[in-house]
Amino acid sequence: MDAYKYIGQPVVKVDGKEKVSGAALFTDDLEFGPDLLYAEVVEGPHAHAMINSINTSEALKVPEVLAVVTGKDFPYNFGLYMNDRYIFAQDRVRFFGEQIAAVIARTPQAAIKGAQLVKVNYTPLPKVLGPLEAIAEGAEILHPDLMNYVHVPWFFPKADSNIAHHRKIRKGEPDKGFEEADYILEDTYEVPRFSHCAIEYHAAVAKYDHSGRLTVWASSQSPNTQRNLFAKALAPLGIRHNDIRVIAPHVGGGFGSKAGVTMEIMAAAIAMKVQGHPVKMMWNREREFYNTYQRLGVVAKLKVGVKKDGTITALKHDLYWDAGAYVEYAANVVNAVGLSAIGPYNIKNVSIDSYCIYTNLPPGGPYRGFGYSEFLFGLESHMSRIAKHLGIDDVEIRRKNMIKEGDLTAYGAHMNPNGLSEAISKVAKEIEWGKKIKSKNPDLAIGKGFALFWKAPAMPPNASSSCFLKFNEDASINLLISGMDIGQGLLTVMAQIAAEILSVPTSKIRTENPDTDRNPYEWQTVASHVTWSCGNAVRNAAIDARDQIFALVARSKFLPADSLYLEDEKVRCRTKPDFELSLKEFIINGIQMDDGTYRGGPVLGRGIFMPEFSSTNADPDTSQGGHPNVHYTVGAAAVILEIDKQTGKMRILKVVEAIDVGKALNPSLVKGQIVGGLLQGISTVLYEEMKFDHRGKMLNPNFTDYKIPTALDIPLEIVPIIIEVAQPDGPFGARGMGEHPMIPVAPMIANAIDDALGLRIKSMPITAEKLCLEILKNNK
Amino acid sequence: MAIPYEFGYEKPGSLDHAIRLLGEHGKNARLLAGGTDLANQMKQGYRVPQLLIDIKGIHELKEIRMAGKELHIGALATFFDLRSSSLIMEKANILYEAAGLVASTGVRNRATMVGNICSAVACMDSATPLLVHDACVHTRSVNGEKSYPIGDWFIENRKTAIQDDEIVTHISIPLPEKKYAGAYQKMMRYSGEDLSQANVSVLVLSEKHFRVAFGSVGPIPKRSPEVEELLNSEGLSEKTIEKAKVIIETVIAPITDVRATKEYRMHMTKVMFERALTTALDRYRKPRIIAH
Amino acid sequence: MKKISFLLNGEARSIYVEPNETLLELLRDRMGTKSPKCGCDSGDCGACTVMLNGCTVRSCLVFAIEADRQEITTLEGISKNGLSPLQKIFLEHNVFQCGYCAPGMILSATELVTKNPHPTVHQIQEAIAGNLCRCTGYTPVIEAILEFTKQEQ
Repeated sequence: MDAYKYIGQPVVKVDGKEKVSGAALFTDDLEFGPDLLYAEVVEGPHAHAMINSINTSEALKVPEVLAVVTGKDFPYNFGLYMNDRYIFAQDRVRFFGEQIAAVIARTPQAAIKGAQLVKVNYTPLPKVLGPLEAIAEGAEILHPDLMNYVHVPWFFPKADSNIAHHRKIRKGEPDKGFEEADYILEDTYEVPRFSHCAIEYHAAVAKYDHSGRLTVWASSQSPNTQRNLFAKALAPLGIRHNDIRVIAPHVGGGFGSKAGVTMEIMAAAIAMKVQGHPVKMMWNREREFYNTYQRLGVVAKLKVGVKKDGTITALKHDLYWDAGAYVEYAANVVNAVGLSAIGPYNIKNVSIDSYCIYTNLPPGGPYRGFGYSEFLFGLESHMSRIAKHLGIDDVEIRRKNMIKEGDLTAYGAHMNPNGLSEAISKVAKEIEWGKKIKSKNPDLAIGKGFALFWKAPAMPPNASSSCFLKFNEDASINLLISGMDIGQGLLTVMAQIAAEILSVPTSKIRTENPDTDRNPYEWQTVASHVTWSCGNAVRNAAIDARDQIFALVARSKFLPADSLYLEDEKVRCRTKPDFELSLKEFIINGIQMDDGTYRGGPVLGRGIFMPEFSSTNADPDTSQGGHPNVHYTVGAAAVILEIDKQTGKMRILKVVEAIDVGKALNPSLVKGQIVGGLLQGISTVLYEEMKFDHRGKMLNPNFTDYKIPTALDIPLEIVPIIIEVAQPDGPFGARGMGEHPMIPVAPMIANAIDDALGLRIKSMPITAEKLCLEILKNNK
Repeated sequence: MAIPYEFGYEKPGSLDHAIRLLGEHGKNARLLAGGTDLANQMKQGYRVPQLLIDIKGIHELKEIRMAGKELHIGALATFFDLRSSSLIMEKANILYEAAGLVASTGVRNRATMVGNICSAVACMDSATPLLVHDACVHTRSVNGEKSYPIGDWFIENRKTAIQDDEIVTHISIPLPEKKYAGAYQKMMRYSGEDLSQANVSVLVLSEKHFRVAFGSVGPIPKRSPEVEELLNSEGLSEKTIEKAKVIIETVIAPITDVRATKEYRMHMTKVMFERALTTALDRYRKPRIIAH
Repeated sequence: MKKISFLLNGEARSIYVEPNETLLELLRDRMGTKSPKCGCDSGDCGACTVMLNGCTVRSCLVFAIEADRQEITTLEGISKNGLSPLQKIFLEHNVFQCGYCAPGMILSATELVTKNPHPTVHQIQEAIAGNLCRCTGYTPVIEAILEFTKQEQ
């Protein structure tokens, strides 16, 4: 094992001091002076309605109101994967609370007052509030222009329907596989929508100055993608990419909600209407719930055939996704799951149909897990039910079918090296699988549940990262990347990579959230891919800088370049042990020769990374032939659940989770993701429940009634286990894991409930109330 | 700005001054103690007082003390004060228990018990403990002093018997002569901060003398004479508890709302009733009172 | 308009306020104190927590005018002369992730260890239960506070 100095160490976060002292500035903390304007949205009160007229005259009369903008001012559609969205509603609204206009004023009060005076006339239209309803015969078509939308070539919308995209997998011979089965289990699982609940609201300040420069400060996971979408959407107003500058302050939690573009584009567009003035748009907690991306809901029909020894012979998985009013990002969730809804299993005969369906509900979008938590609830529940029926141990059936390196994925590519087997063994051992626990209290039942999980980054095949590595006179480094630290510790890990290669301590490396003008490109901080992708870019930049250093020292000091190495910020030579040259002696100012001339100059590392093996070229009817996913991260988890049979209340006595991260570049940060992600997963099962009324209005857009856990609601014991089976193309062997911790939680809790009570619950959430009423029903 | 409209603010230094202000402004004014309820109501536009009368300068209202055989809890006593008071812990442990389940520490540092029962929202935690203790609410106005038995205090959701010009000065609890013990059970969606979806208070005065109150399962929190009569005549047994549960179905009227269904609330009330009863009796029978 | 005077992080300050301003708005929008955050504006999330006379309160539920003649402490005040020992442990253990809940969380933790130098795990959970965090899962915060109390012994 290599002895690394920085890699694998629990290095203190580079932004830790700022955050712990309260000095860290988030978007709403920034000051813009007395000329700052405020924008307030006008929201539609219908889930689906035509807009007949918008009367802004009364609003414009309010003192200190400068302007009112509507969809007419910005008739440009945009989107990440499909251009089905508008900055403000055009001819109709498609979800309750959709923005149709904005009032811009000198004070927030005047903007609010103005917004209240905008008069809108609507004609309500029939609405669809569920995915099956939306594809039923005669359902209202929500996007009549669907087939005219520009989209990535690997999406397949269906004409005259609400199906925005249909990903199909056909591998092997599913029909034959089912015929060969000794036992087939077929059932439906339902997972509703969830909300990210980052504690910091979405916020954006934009200024279009008189040089034609649009600057946007926003709480964002994706400054470059934002710049790109702003540039494309606002191009008709005469703006180019290099005119747009997105600056990312600290982000108070993303979880996917701050990926892509949500409300920020309104601020950007509005700024162009009030040239010269900075304008701020702030969301509030209610809008965080109903007018930001939500995690998609899904109705999943699963059919699995097995031999009596538990070997899976065929899998058919039909997923009907409630993707919401606009699916420009949500459609990729549907796509990603379509490619992976076999779970981490080796299955020869596969049929998957993943449908992205428009509904009159808030837009679905990226949420930690990107569809995998949703489909795995059904799949891992299903596997345990099959095991129970066959009398096979839950862990054994998984071991029997688990995917190994080299096995084919659902789309026919080879599975990467992975530690799934080790994860299964370690989790089973830690949870004492097979040992039944009984409570002394007759009112309490205890059960154990197990689940496997996997996920691959879901991104375009050419998503890329880049890095500039700038040395300074004292050999300290400014590391310039556009990967975002959204709490996961990315900046720290990037510094660790540079530190390891260049022997400069992390304390001398400054990495900060980006300014798209100054920092080179990063696709987005999503998909659990930046440690890998941006990490590779940083590694390449560090190696580039190191190569320059060695080349310079070689030609200036007449030493062979391949004999040089770096140690403690000095260049050393293997063949000349007494040679040492401090980086700070020459890193900016070069090396002086005997004749007084200098060699070299500022050392500037440049690194890029883009996978060149990923492709979406595949048969559209079978999805075979492409290589859409770069690699999968896998793991296993188990839980000991205690249930109060009288109240349905559940307590997690112990949860164990093992993830194969390839290489834990910073183990304390990896554990932080596991602990945090587990609780977020637990919350989606036990506590969080979104309620809509018949109008499509969300009834609980607040923390009072959409419950996210507190410090009193945590498991009694958490055991994170780090597995390290190197990712061959990862920096120091690392691969991503930020989303994964929450993925297995729902099915393993459902499995534990079945173990404890013999009750199988096939829909989420599984609140105390739902479980209790189920117990009562069962008792009768 | 969270509260867009303008209003006035006064901070009287004495009770007399506060009473005079109330007499002058009546229903256009609201009294401000902890403000944790009022601030939200004003942000939502539910209440729009023209004047806030901040009573936190009237220090005599903060007292928790014995007055003869009565326990007096001042209008400004916060839930934190209740939790820090050995008097409350020893003499009114149901209140002590309920106080610990209100919101969170930062809210308990400000929110007052009197404010809780004046807001009279359905999810109040203070009501059923006070009901089983036969507490009395004492007010003052320009017309003098008045007292309301707690059973007469709650009129309907968010409405009490208080008049526009009255200020609650304190709550009195007549402490039973002989030993007693109580228990509070609160229906919550999890262990963290939550508004009660149903709650039960039980006070045991002897093996055949019980007081029971139910909250958040009807328009107002109430004692249940029917359940009490059953327990008082038959004493506690598995059979009586089952009979009591049947009676409960007829005396409470939980609703279905965004927080819980009426079926679950009904079921939980019965479970909490049994648990509160057994816990309270357990505490009564043991030589010392066990506080939560 | 009323002029109020109060101690903010140990410094005597005077400013005119309107009754309809919340303390959170005053601190952030007009006094340059940015560490208290807005996360819900209804007292549910704890991100706005400040200390009022040494006790944590939700500043979004306090009217600015109530600060008159009181003592307000925010995280900036705790950090004034360098990180407190408790803050140092949070830093060294990589406790916080996005950091948005940190100001409120640290004030609640500080209040706890000041009033109760040897809290149980349950008491720690209770003390910070009003500070919502979506990132950490709370366990690292609790462990760090426990570590702090051990070190102080």
